[in-house]
Amino acid sequence: MSILTFLIPVTLCMGAIGLAAFFWSLRHGQYEDLSGDAERILHDDDAPLVPAHTPRPPVATKETTK
Amino acid sequence: MTGTTTQSGTSAVAGAVQVASGPLDRAQTRASVHANAQGRGTVILSVPGIRCGGCVATIERALRQREDVVAARVNLTLRQANITLLDPDSDPMPIIEALAKLGYAATPAEIGTADDKADPVGKNLLRSLAIAGFGAMNIMLFSVGVWSGADGQTRETFHLVSALIAVPVVAYAGQPFYRSAFGALRLGRLNMDVPIALAVTLALVLSLFETMRGGEHVFFDAAVTLLFFLLVGRYLDHLMRERARSAVTGLARLSPKGAMIRQNDGSLAYAALASVSPGAILSIAENERVPVDVRIVSGGTDIDRSLVTGEAMPMAAGPGDTLEAGTLNLTGVIEAEALRAADESFLARMIEMQSAAESGRGRYVRIADRAARLYAPVVHLLALTTFIGWVLATGGDWQTSAFVAISVLIITCPCALALAVPVAHVVAAGRLMREGVLMKDGSALERLSEIDRAVFDKTGTLTTGMPAVVSVPDDAAIRSGARALAARSVHPAARAIAARLTDLPGLVTDETEVPGFGVEAMVDGRRARLGRADWVGEIADISQNAASPAFAFAGGTAVSFDLSETLRQGAGQAVAALTAAGIPVSMLSGDMESRARRVAGELGIGDVRHGATPADKIETLETLRRDGHLTLMVGDGLNDAAALAAAHVSMAPSSASDAGRTAADFVFLRDNLESVSATWQVARDTARIVRQNFGLAIAYNCIAIPLAVAGLVTPLVAALAMSGSSILVIANALRLNRTGKSHPTHRAAPITVQEVSA
Amino acid sequence: MMSNLTGAERTTAMTIAGFGALIGLAMAAAGHGDPMGVHGWIVLAFFGVLFFIVASALYSPEPVEDRALSYYDDPTKVGIILALIWAVVGMFMGVWVASQLAWPDLRFEGAWSGFGRLRPVHTSGVIFGFGGNALIATSYHIMQRTSRARMPGQISPWFVLLGFNLFCILAASGYVMGVTQSKEYAEAEWYADIWLVVVWVVYFILYMRTLSRRNEPHIYVANWYYLSFILVVAILHIVNNLAVPASWTGAKSYSLFSGVQDAMTQWWYGHNAVAFFLTTGFLGMLYYFLPKRAGRPIYSYRLSILSFWGIVFFYIWVGSHHLHYTALPHWVQTLGMTFSVMLLVPSWASAGNALMTLNGAWGKVRDDATLRFMMMAAVFYGLSTFEGSFMAIRPVNGLSHYTDWTVGHVHAGAMGWVALITFGSIYALTPVLWRRETMYSWKAVEWHFWLALSGTVIYVFSMWNSGIIQGLMWRTYTETGTLKFSFVDSLVAMHPYYIARAFGGLLFLTGACICLWNVVMTILHVPQKAPELDYPTSSEAMEPALPAAE
Ligand code: HEM
Ligand code: HEM
Repeated sequence: MSILTFLIPVTLCMGAIGLAAFFWSLRHGQYEDLSGDAERILHDDDAPLVPAHTPRPPVATKETTK
Repeated sequence: MTGTTTQSGTSAVAGAVQVASGPLDRAQTRASVHANAQGRGTVILSVPGIRCGGCVATIERALRQREDVVAARVNLTLRQANITLLDPDSDPMPIIEALAKLGYAATPAEIGTADDKADPVGKNLLRSLAIAGFGAMNIMLFSVGVWSGADGQTRETFHLVSALIAVPVVAYAGQPFYRSAFGALRLGRLNMDVPIALAVTLALVLSLFETMRGGEHVFFDAAVTLLFFLLVGRYLDHLMRERARSAVTGLARLSPKGAMIRQNDGSLAYAALASVSPGAILSIAENERVPVDVRIVSGGTDIDRSLVTGEAMPMAAGPGDTLEAGTLNLTGVIEAEALRAADESFLARMIEMQSAAESGRGRYVRIADRAARLYAPVVHLLALTTFIGWVLATGGDWQTSAFVAISVLIITCPCALALAVPVAHVVAAGRLMREGVLMKDGSALERLSEIDRAVFDKTGTLTTGMPAVVSVPDDAAIRSGARALAARSVHPAARAIAARLTDLPGLVTDETEVPGFGVEAMVDGRRARLGRADWVGEIADISQNAASPAFAFAGGTAVSFDLSETLRQGAGQAVAALTAAGIPVSMLSGDMESRARRVAGELGIGDVRHGATPADKIETLETLRRDGHLTLMVGDGLNDAAALAAAHVSMAPSSASDAGRTAADFVFLRDNLESVSATWQVARDTARIVRQNFGLAIAYNCIAIPLAVAGLVTPLVAALAMSGSSILVIANALRLNRTGKSHPTHRAAPITVQEVSA
Repeated sequence: MMSNLTGAERTTAMTIAGFGALIGLAMAAAGHGDPMGVHGWIVLAFFGVLFFIVASALYSPEPVEDRALSYYDDPTKVGIILALIWAVVGMFMGVWVASQLAWPDLRFEGAWSGFGRLRPVHTSGVIFGFGGNALIATSYHIMQRTSRARMPGQISPWFVLLGFNLFCILAASGYVMGVTQSKEYAEAEWYADIWLVVVWVVYFILYMRTLSRRNEPHIYVANWYYLSFILVVAILHIVNNLAVPASWTGAKSYSLFSGVQDAMTQWWYGHNAVAFFLTTGFLGMLYYFLPKRAGRPIYSYRLSILSFWGIVFFYIWVGSHHLHYTALPHWVQTLGMTFSVMLLVPSWASAGNALMTLNGAWGKVRDDATLRFMMMAAVFYGLSTFEGSFMAIRPVNGLSHYTDWTVGHVHAGAMGWVALITFGSIYALTPVLWRRETMYSWKAVEWHFWLALSGTVIYVFSMWNSGIIQGLMWRTYTETGTLKFSFVDSLVAMHPYYIARAFGGLLFLTGACICLWNVVMTILHVPQKAPELDYPTSSEAMEPALPAAE
């Protein structure tokens, strides 16, 4: 089954990508408030969350979001 | 503490906060704001009233609409709001008020919480678990391939790929075990992780060797699945402790973190606790805790010392009186001079005593480690014997002999044994959590199941610490007047009166609260006083030694209210249940003899020690320990903290002082004291299940070891046997959940503000 | 719709369309006399039409308001409509091929209309046309809402949606002309495959960019399901379509692999296509729209995350269960079988999670046909995964393989799970997207539900019956050891079931037509709901919330 020498690495790579994604999610606090996060989607399209044009003084480091 | 009565006399801010959460300190609130990296302020508020996504949305929307808030995010699990303020110097008090208006009580969460939330240990374990899971999955896959007939070149390739996966996986995910095993060995001890680490390592080495010489059997799958199962146990265990810990910090009622200091120019400025030096003049408002030991310079007030000394009744205090750090200023604003620096205060000394007492408990060895001390040498000897036996029998074929010996080690690797305890504890912790009891760690359950003696503190533990009115005056006008005045004060006695009387309160005008004495006002046009008997006697007739508090209209006859302490719900049942089970119960109180005896009498406790100082309490427990008793201590106050730490095992109600809650092994959230006996019952059930699990593990070994010694164990057998025994043990532990149903359970009372601020 | 694009964006769109039209022209010229030439004309026409649509509005007024303050819903709207059009086309083809099996004359003597050519039009039409468009459209909606951010560009969402539809058109029109790679669910030829790779890469980038712009720190679990769908389908598609074109001017190509190697690759792809196209993407839909519609959070969010990782890790390995008793080595089959059986655990965890979410809201399920669609979908998901795990056991597969039982399993999954969850989601989404108070006719939704349910049940039961009868007839021996029934005997026995299936399919198709009508009427005739509801959180306002998540 020489094809497996190809399919197995491809599949293992996919698994490794999954693992990396999981680690990313762990590092970025994706599991810190599971019950809250499950609820949030129920409220995501209510009235605007922030008054659209509140003037706010600029924040020093704007790039952090990107 | 019913916060619904409005209190004139306290400022509007304090009033709102009163509704919110009881004592709350301006200084502390300010201190809870920290500057973040962007130069904004952040504050974390603990909002116990958050129940669902609706609350989350309401709060976030309300907060984000405020000009002083840049961002707000609510954590439903922790019931906290994480708020970014425009300016690190902003005062979060208006936000707390705004939340109170929405119906959410909020207090600044403890400072440590923000960093603790990251929980690096847990993340590390979870990461190891994920790696082990990934490795186990993939290696299993190749193993299934090999078991079902892949051979020759394919098998060798599979072994090689498995090796490539297994080595890094073990190197990474095995760390918790290796580290703990090395730690134990360095101290010359054995724990469960020693045989685990050894078995995993040898399995790996043997398999690598087999792979290189193209052998038929490798144990990569066994090594990695073993790690995976063990990590599951370890992670669950960690999760349980972490959840209990964060729930306890969620209850956080602050011990003061700073103080308002009167400057030379007369203004007030906030200072962190550490920089309060003796001689500084502090301003302490009503409902604040006294930050350091002080002497009052001006102003009078009532002081609640129950958490500090165990005395149930508030005490009047005026200029010249000294107050201990941690006592609660109830009614008046006082100016006071700091006597000692914070790290020498009463509170600090208590905490010192507590850590000294705690070291005594370090000697306890957990049951799993006790088992390991026996188990490891036996197994290792067995493997050695097997090796020698096989070498002799095969005439020096040391390769086969090593293979068999190592398979003995692998199959006896205490997978089930290592799971036997933590899984049972996790399940028990879950059951306790549902019943409103938080448990700090698994060893607490083991210790609780062993007790032969129970010691209860009185004030705040057997009793609620709240007085109640015993009898009601006959005169309706007096009742109505007294109720009207009582409603104007936060003094516990006044509250008790207000709570007990049901008459329509009279119309009150011109009221003044005289701290230390009572309330005076015009009720329906007549002058009236409620407060200390001699003070009331100034305007009315009163008998010589009338009890306080008393009430009178000017020129009338004074009426005294007879106050008694209220027993905590379920106190009688708890004491009775323990006594019935053959566990003698005693009382250890810092309060006056008469009060202690009265409560003990009501509950049928024979052995009473009263007037005990914190040092007395420790001494009592040490004596019990020396006499060979294993004692359960139940207490709540600052003065109990050291005793809680000194006892074999300890419990505290959620209303306890910070120090008390930290020192206790269990914290119960319900007002009901039956939690104590119920927890004890769970501990005993758990101990039984743990014993059964050990039995199962031993039975498994009795079957597995002969097979292994005979050289009949293939990787397939090993994998099946280990998974099978692990699952068996887990299933048995789950039975703890079922037993729970048969006990009468009460609906889990949510952690409410009332409970937090007794 | 054009009014949402700036002048520069319109120019870019025109450039892309013009470029596409040129490629079409080149294909038409190079492939003259070959089906590829016909495809060239189709490409040319497709991009030509787009070019003129954009060009005719090039100088109309540009958007004045700040676009970042609203979600970009235009592509979602078009995607929903396209999905429904493909549903009607694809299911019509399904009914047609089903009827051909019952009444072979229905091919009308045409080469193009034979079963072999129309069947892939059905499968691609429903899976890619209907399912794919629905997935793309709902993913646009969900990723924006759960991230509380607008998609990053105006052009790339259109590129993905329309480009994908071009692929579907090329595929379907190719089948009718006899163009096929002979790989099930991957029949389209090399140039269409290359085009799909381009489209898919843009899709992936679009998704990642939207997520990276998010104002909500948490990534909702539905996004993980969608992302795995996009990522894995990309890898599968590339690997399975590795082929060498016979010539650059013709449609024919040869697979890079051969024989059993090729079969293994095909079913490694084939089952993962089932897993990541027909399962994870739709689970994403389920995890968003079911809680939304029920108004309650998912029963166990933790479980939904756990079963995600379980499904992802198990599914990758099960493809070989399609090749039991073939030249594939025995142990590879066993491997596929073992993991197929274990796959039941995370699958049922998902189905159970969905049903437990509804536990306590049964009143709503009773009254709301939309929610009922989703509930039935979860039930059928549980059913078909159980059936699948069962069929993956080698001896069972010995009975079921080659029979209609497989087809029954397929449609329990495809109609019962995929189509029902999609219809449910469309009914939940339409009023939100077009900001209407309700659907035009709730009675029509109710009708659709019962038609779809009875259609599915009739279809699946007739196939189970016919499949098992087939399997048994083919294995019955006489005392002398010869086969008792000829193949034609079994075919005769199938006839009533094939008629029943065609009827069930007709009911299902009717339901789909009602749905399209209902959605169109909702857009045209139901009054707008005021005030408008949802906006992305402005990133400036939420920005400092991010550091907390680090
Ligand atoms: C209107 C309802 C439908 C009808 C009447 C129908 C009919 C058919 C027929 C007759 C076949 C060929 C079976 C054979 O080769 O023996 C088929 C195959 C197939 N259909 Fe459908 N179908 C319908 C709906 C759907 C839907 C909604 C989907 C997917 C979302 C779908 C997916 C498939 C697939 C994947 C196959 C190939 C099965 C295989 O190779 O085993 N069908 N369908
Ligand atoms: C645990 C989950 C599942 C397992 C283990 C499974 C297993 C199987 C098996 C054993 C076959 C028959 C292979 C053969 O004999 O040729 C099959 C066919 C099929 N299944 Fe599933 N199935 C699962 C879920 C699903 C779901 C949810 C769908 C959704 C649409 C689905 C769609 C299909 C399709 C389209 C085929 C036909 C493939 C062909 O063209 O031959 N399966 N599946």
